Amino acid sequence: MRSAPPRLAVWLLTQRLSNAWRDFVIGDLEEEYQTRRLRSPLAARSWFWRQTVRCLIAPPPVHYTPGAAEASSGDSHMLTLIADLRYAARVIRRAPSFAVAVISVLAIGIGANTALFSIVNAVLLRPLPFDQPEQLVRLFTKPPQTSAASVPIFGLSPGKFYDWQRNSTSFEGMALYRFRQFALSGSGSARAIVAGAVGAGFFETLHAQPARGRVFLPEEDTPAGKHVAIVSDRFWNSELGAAPDVVGRTLTLDDEAYTIVGVMPARATVPAWEVMASDIWVPIALTEEQRGVRSNHNQRGFARLKPGVTVEQAQAEMDAISARLAQEFPASDGRWGAVVMPMREEIVGDSRGMLVMLLGAVALVLLIACANVGNLLFTRALTRRKELAIRSALGAGRGRVFQQLLTEAVVYAAMGGALGLVLAAATLSSVSTVLANQIPRAAEITIDGRVLLFAIAASLLTGILAGTLPAVRAGRADVNDALKEGGRGDAAVGVGTRRLLIICEVALSLVLLMSAGVMIQSLLALRQSNTGFDLSNVLTMEVSLVATRYQTPAQRTAFYDAALQRIRALPGVEAAATIDDLPLLDGSSQTLALEGSTAPAQSDPVAVQVRQITPGYLETMRIPLLRGRNIAESDSDVLLVSREAAKLYWGTDDPIGRRAALPMISRTMFREVVGIVGDVKQRDLADSFTPTVYYYSRDRSWGGATFVIRTSVPPATLAQPATAAIHAIDPQQPVQNVQTMERIRDERLSSQRLSALLLGVFAGIALLLASVGIYSVVSYIVRGRSREIGIRAALGARTSDVLGLVIVEGMTPTLIGIVVGTIAAFAAARILERLVFGVSPYDAVTLVAVAVTLGAVALVACMVPAYRAAQLDPLKVLRES
Amino acid sequence: MWFKTRSSALGDFEQLILLGVLRLDEDAYGAAIRQEIHARSGRDVSINAVYTTLDRLERKGLLRSWVGEPTAQRGGRRRKFYALRPSGMAALRQAYHSFTEMADGLQSRLSLTKGVK
Repeated sequence: MRSAPPRLAVWLLTQRLSNAWRDFVIGDLEEEYQTRRLRSPLAARSWFWRQTVRCLIAPPPVHYTPGAAEASSGDSHMLTLIADLRYAARVIRRAPSFAVAVISVLAIGIGANTALFSIVNAVLLRPLPFDQPEQLVRLFTKPPQTSAASVPIFGLSPGKFYDWQRNSTSFEGMALYRFRQFALSGSGSARAIVAGAVGAGFFETLHAQPARGRVFLPEEDTPAGKHVAIVSDRFWNSELGAAPDVVGRTLTLDDEAYTIVGVMPARATVPAWEVMASDIWVPIALTEEQRGVRSNHNQRGFARLKPGVTVEQAQAEMDAISARLAQEFPASDGRWGAVVMPMREEIVGDSRGMLVMLLGAVALVLLIACANVGNLLFTRALTRRKELAIRSALGAGRGRVFQQLLTEAVVYAAMGGALGLVLAAATLSSVSTVLANQIPRAAEITIDGRVLLFAIAASLLTGILAGTLPAVRAGRADVNDALKEGGRGDAAVGVGTRRLLIICEVALSLVLLMSAGVMIQSLLALRQSNTGFDLSNVLTMEVSLVATRYQTPAQRTAFYDAALQRIRALPGVEAAATIDDLPLLDGSSQTLALEGSTAPAQSDPVAVQVRQITPGYLETMRIPLLRGRNIAESDSDVLLVSREAAKLYWGTDDPIGRRAALPMISRTMFREVVGIVGDVKQRDLADSFTPTVYYYSRDRSWGGATFVIRTSVPPATLAQPATAAIHAIDPQQPVQNVQTMERIRDERLSSQRLSALLLGVFAGIALLLASVGIYSVVSYIVRGRSREIGIRAALGARTSDVLGLVIVEGMTPTLIGIVVGTIAAFAAARILERLVFGVSPYDAVTLVAVAVTLGAVALVACMVPAYRAAQLDPLKVLRES
Repeated sequence: MWFKTRSSALGDFEQLILLGVLRLDEDAYGAAIRQEIHARSGRDVSINAVYTTLDRLERKGLLRSWVGEPTAQRGGRRRKFYALRPSGMAALRQAYHSFTEMADGLQSRLSLTKGVK
């Protein structure tokens, strides 16, 4: 089989070699390459490249015979390019400080772009690290879209999942999973660990092979099956000492022995997908009864499409199945749908919009850097007018001069790009740990081939962009004029072009500053948004009781009662209570069944958030009781409803005294509403208030809960004593996620904070570059007009006149830039619209503030050269000219 | 140019090339000569050096060349074949003689087990 040698190398050879040799040399190389690659393709390529380089350096000579001049265009192009490169190197050596300025501006621009692109590359572009990842999809249910508060997608109920699995033909495999809290004991004190509880076929569908042992057998996915576990490579190394005989050993999870049957390889760990970020997997082992549950959507699922089946086809099939199931089970499945979502989309989620916005922002920074460098190169080209004119006089055409200046610009850009790449690599290695919790797939951020290619392309483009304008303008310079002594024409040259550059820089900076301003305001608005409760001075911690030791509701209740008693007794604690899922972190949502209501629960579902609390919760979170009474220890099975929930279910009627059932707990047990409380944001800071129903039962049907503790001292100081209080009751009971409520809020805002921070940094760089640009242009203009200013001063112009003259010179393009930038900012606002909260991206106050800031910075940048102009000694200036 | 083009004496690399052409007979072209030199002398020379030298030897009148047909193995490119002219043969003979004459009787001092053939 033939395989072409490296195309780039062949192309280079074609360019470099003359007609007389091209065929023979390349043909020989290719011929030998073909034999060599049979032994080792890699070695063959490297050999080909070595040969190519040597040919490029010293190609076989060409002998021109008179009358037979060959048209070796490639050869001459290549030679010209080499000459230009050599010349550029000389130019850089001659003016190193100029080169340093240009290269560092470019390095900042290209470096920032490369760094951000490597994030985009890892998060959005690189395929997920699975076998044929494009076939993997996540499965969700779609609840009836009636209530305003409904969530677009839901987890799965086992009943629906198994029906889907039986009826669908689009998938190669489909698996159910969820997460299980375990207390891992063994050496030392027990610690909480989250294991992936996976259904039959999970690893097979993923195409994940164990490094040791085996995956789960189908018969292990039953309640009767033995306790078995698979561990991750990380766990095997850190906890099990990488023992080769690990298969067959046991782990103690919740006081029960689980036999290790397999070890997953390191590459199977995927930080971006929770279940594959776990360290332990166990079979999900649902009971027959659990398998039939249709209305509780608390499981997750994924599937692998059969080769050739598209997501749309699978979705169409699932729609048809859902429609059939809706008829078969109208009570539980009526109007519910299925959602097939590519796994990448699910993992990347909301970060796409943010990253694209940031990439746009950083591209603007690069454009500003281009404008600055263009300006610098232009100035430089003008100081070299004489040299260029001599070249023209000696016969270099305008095209030739253009090409040479462009080559120089690209050389600068290439050096800037190389430095920028180093900068990006240095920042990324330190930044990726910071990013870990803020964006998906942060652990995969590296500089790979694609990033490298991006950096090269960005550098080339930057060089061309920054170099074209100066090259065109300089190439146009009049030879006669330039060669004349004195060269007084300087002042007039390119002032218009420079003003254009200022306008661009100011306009682009304004867009960035405006975006950053809006983003920062949005972040502040979110931080200060009313959550409905008081998050300051609240400590939270999670406890998940070990199921084997706390088997009955009475045992669990006793534990929590004792724990709350001890915690409340701690100094610095004002109040304490428990809740199943904290506000801002989402949790169970259900549809209430009202007593005496004839309508079936599911036909017109209005879902509300449902939380299990203990007395003292309202006081701890400072949620106001609006009417009725609070719950008390003596109560059993009563409800508190939030104002929105009351409105949703009872309208204008008074809910107090009415009764309702929570269908996921019991359809037949009706609980009395005793009070109406204030609304709270249960799901997200950017959401509106969430209608919520709180219930209190003496009997705890399950063992997990989160403590909320209001403190009169800084809450973090109570972390240790509160944990100790739990351990005083049960030293083997793990406590996890001990953190303040403020911290939880801040973590919910991490992606907004990241984008606000990055936009702020970009806007800062832009402002700095723009001010440097304005300064250098105005200085240049002042230098060019020093004679005129000297004459004015000699004729009696006052200092303020001169200052005014120069400032007008600099501020006019700035003001035009602000106007242009405002228009551009309005266009950019459309992108921001979906990313901000509590502030309009067209916000006039921000715009004015940004415009004033830019104007002020520009004014300062003008002041320095203006002041210098005012200090000019008219006599000296006039004598010199 | 690194070499004196007028000189009639052959350089060391020129000798290798001429011997390669002689060995390969009708089948002497760049890649084959390169491989022959590599295989026998262990010198992994580059193709450009081979052609530069072939070209010089042809201009000295020691070689003649002709162009072959394109082949698929070479991506449809032609070969350039070389053969010794009588003067090339003579130059090679001359070089061989001067080397063997100068080396004669020195085999033991050069620690050669086998004499120069």
